[in-house]
Amino acid sequence: MARKSHEVIEVPDALDANKAAEIAFAHDQGLTSHAFTKGEHPIVRIEHLNKSFDETKVLRDVNLDVWPGEVVVVLGPSGSGKSTMLRCINLLETPSAGHILIHDNEITHASGSEVNKLRRDVGMVFQSFNLFPHLTAKENVMIGQTKVLKKDKAEAEAEAMKQLEAVGLADRADFKPAQLSGGQQQRVAIARAVAMHPEIILFDEPTSALDPELVRGVLDVMRDLAENSGMTMIVVTHEMGFARDVADRVVFMEGGVVVEQGLPAKVFDHPENERTAEFLGSIK
Amino acid sequence: MKNMNRRTFLEGLGLAAGTFSLAACGGNSSDSGTDSGAKDDSAAPADDGSYTLVEDGKLTVVAELGFAPFEYMDEKTGEPEGFDVDFAKALGEAMGLETTYLPNQKFDTLVPTIKQGGKADVAIAAITINDERAESIDFTDPYLDSNQSIVCRAGSGETEESLNDASKTVCCQSGTTGDEWISENLSNATKVPLDDVTAALTGIQTGSYDAMVVDLPVSQYLIKQSFSDLEVVEEIPTGEQYGVCVSKDNPNLTAALNEAIAKIKSDGTMDKIETEWFGTTL
Amino acid sequence: MRRSQNKRTTRLLAALAIALVAVLALVPTSAVAMTTNKATARPNEDGGSGVIGGMDTRLTWEGTVEDGEELTAITLSLPDGATFDHSTTRVTVLEGLKRVEIGNSTTPSGSSITVKFDEAIPADSLVRLEITDMQFPSEGGDYAVSGTYETADGTRQLADSPTIAIIANTPLQAAVNWLDEQPAVQAWNSVPFLGMFLKPQLLLTSFSSLFPGWLVCLAIVIAAYPFAILLGMVFALLKISKYKVVRAIAIIYINILRGTPLFLQIYIMFFGLPMIGINIDNNVLGVIVMAINSSAYLAEIFRAGIESIPVGQYEAASSLGMTHMQTMTNIIIPQTVRRVLPTVTSDFITAYKDTSLLSSVGVMELMMFSKNLTTVSGNITPYMAAAIFYLIVTLPLIKIVGIVESNIARSERGGGPRPKRKGASEATAESDLTNSATAVHAETADKKLEDALAGVFAPFRPQTQTPEV
Repeated sequence: MARKSHEVIEVPDALDANKAAEIAFAHDQGLTSHAFTKGEHPIVRIEHLNKSFDETKVLRDVNLDVWPGEVVVVLGPSGSGKSTMLRCINLLETPSAGHILIHDNEITHASGSEVNKLRRDVGMVFQSFNLFPHLTAKENVMIGQTKVLKKDKAEAEAEAMKQLEAVGLADRADFKPAQLSGGQQQRVAIARAVAMHPEIILFDEPTSALDPELVRGVLDVMRDLAENSGMTMIVVTHEMGFARDVADRVVFMEGGVVVEQGLPAKVFDHPENERTAEFLGSIK
Repeated sequence: MKNMNRRTFLEGLGLAAGTFSLAACGGNSSDSGTDSGAKDDSAAPADDGSYTLVEDGKLTVVAELGFAPFEYMDEKTGEPEGFDVDFAKALGEAMGLETTYLPNQKFDTLVPTIKQGGKADVAIAAITINDERAESIDFTDPYLDSNQSIVCRAGSGETEESLNDASKTVCCQSGTTGDEWISENLSNATKVPLDDVTAALTGIQTGSYDAMVVDLPVSQYLIKQSFSDLEVVEEIPTGEQYGVCVSKDNPNLTAALNEAIAKIKSDGTMDKIETEWFGTTL
Repeated sequence: MRRSQNKRTTRLLAALAIALVAVLALVPTSAVAMTTNKATARPNEDGGSGVIGGMDTRLTWEGTVEDGEELTAITLSLPDGATFDHSTTRVTVLEGLKRVEIGNSTTPSGSSITVKFDEAIPADSLVRLEITDMQFPSEGGDYAVSGTYETADGTRQLADSPTIAIIANTPLQAAVNWLDEQPAVQAWNSVPFLGMFLKPQLLLTSFSSLFPGWLVCLAIVIAAYPFAILLGMVFALLKISKYKVVRAIAIIYINILRGTPLFLQIYIMFFGLPMIGINIDNNVLGVIVMAINSSAYLAEIFRAGIESIPVGQYEAASSLGMTHMQTMTNIIIPQTVRRVLPTVTSDFITAYKDTSLLSSVGVMELMMFSKNLTTVSGNITPYMAAAIFYLIVTLPLIKIVGIVESNIARSERGGGPRPKRKGASEATAESDLTNSATAVHAETADKKLEDALAGVFAPFRPQTQTPEV
């Protein structure tokens, strides 16, 4: 109750899918290095997304389309609403107003079971890893497969070992999270998310809680995923190098709105928006 | 229930008091000594017959105040009442002392309290004169004869024989002669010593216990007053006698009390008290 | 024939008649006019109910003077080996329930004792002799009291009493007797404090006689605890329910049970339930009261435990697509269990000690046995033995709590972001501060409250604590 804004925000209804695809196709031309074709539909559509906590407006009318297989990096200062936007995509936060559509299905008013199904397809990697401390690395990667995907144990274990191998931690499979470094924990968390084979994977500042020397290993894993997995990735981060090298598109947010978006080289080297320039300048 | 709440609280006090008083009463009491009743090692009594009191001018009495009609607390005033209370007052009067009562204390702590001394001058609580107790304290001359009784639910058909069985639970007030009687005569039954007569009788009513062994005047009185669904199934003629407990260090007080007892017996006061509480002289 | 004489109006004599029949069945004797009603001996086994030979006991003999007789003296005899030397005799003469004072003199001689009455005891009187500090033969066996009595007509044979079962000295008693003779033990006991609190002989016998009470304590708490855990878990989940009514039910249950002394709950259950017609075995009722009482504390422990799990854990489980149920059973509860283990163990210790309160309503547990023994012996040592019995269980558990706690501390120190990042709110530093953080911090406050409550209740455990003073 307390969360609801006093102000009721009026937003238009979600667009028709084909119409939205057309508009997105036109809009995103030149903004991303990801190849998309005419007639293809965006995998994620964010329309007029608003989110408030009590009196504080965190997101104001955010609009964004993400194409299947695209790697989008969201940048912005603290409090710009980028994490909140990310958390809205798998409904860890409930939007106050607006629409989020995945495969043209509106998720904003999904029921409990629909939400669970949705989340199966949308993986998430957290800033604080959130590994299950009572389970080993391998069990962490297995539990979603066995409980949610109902895979049998052997299959889940094979998949878990494959994913741990991929993040370079096969030899730590039987370690508890507390016995792993932060970087290792985050790589296990990535393996846990990837093992569910989601279509979309969300990264919420995955390296912010890490000591600098551990950041690199995690970024390497993410880079590998971006280049080889074909998964759609939306990454909230402060790692400019990663954004520049890996992103198909960079989105800059501030004050709860998308201020600027475009190709990394364009946004980094020739920001159009003053705030973007200022922020990038401060980061450098 | 109201009564029990009070109990709950006082019990804690009583136990603590009992423990400390027991603690202080020296090491030889537990030996099944052969010097029963011997008045050895007592402090030499003053030749002039004077005695010491906890509080000057007052006869301080300690009792377990849940033993109607001998001593119980009046529901309204909270003051001790009963045969023993009137008797104690008469004693005090005969000795020119004011009689005061300490707060309620568990029965099995009374003798240790007197033995330890310092808290109360006498214990007057329907305490039967026996050799074990006489090892720790002095008794005055007996002031009343009594008997035991077995109380059961009305119509239970229990007898002393049927109760002497492993399937039976027989309760008593802890440390009383009834307690001892069960050990010796109902050795097959499970004995449950409780602190509180009311709790015991309620337990029989509710079926927690099969019987209680308690002083006959008490069972008769309580059944008449408030436990109409219980009955005395057997009167046990023990012919035991109640005496006043006095510290062995205070023999002159015992002597003075004996004089007082003789006096109130001879001047009709005792008869009057007996008639008041039992409807007849005993 | 004698039976018909006995059939008087009072119930008392009816009872005596039954006893008499028993006597006649046992001993077909010649015509005797003095009836032996019974003979019993006081148990002298420390903490037991047996009568041991070769040790002081008290013999109680009861007989009735028959019609047409007047008793002037009575002699009781036991087989050789029994002794009345050093004994003292208390004589009670009753007419019905009325006591009659008759002077007497007693002469013990070896295995028999003679009581002469100053005046003849009239017919129908009940005569009771309580002979203190006599001993039965030390080899044990069944002994009947025989003897003679004198009337104006001369001396007659007394009917044998029913036999009294005497046990030979037990190994335990032998050990006690051996201790009795040790000068070191005597010196020890002569120190008032030591003799009163730690008398070796009594400590030894206390251990053996308190043992069944100790088993009852353990059985009650072990039987009660699984139910307490189950109930506690149910009420913990109810208390964090989304629905106000359900929460209210849990809160009422928990607060009433935590807000009243266990002592009171015991009294209400033990006297209240039978009043409304529910009769349950005492021990079972003890289990029920302990289970219900502990469940309220456990509910709070579990609730605090569940709420102490960082929000990130729920989010991580959700992001994998787990349902709320799957999240609780696979992620939250297993972690909760690990976290609450030390507190639950402490509560178990408390519950185990609190079984002592059941003695007040007649459950034959450890305190009851020690109270009995203390009453009989007039010595505090049985309480010390009880304390040792409590400590046998509690000390190892306290140790285990310590080990588990330090293990958990170590594993949480071992790495990972939680300790480093300070609280659970790290997940969404820029947003969801308000609701998640407060939920977690409420837990610490609650633990403090719990400790405070435990302190408040402490005075209600005097029976376990006083002996340790």
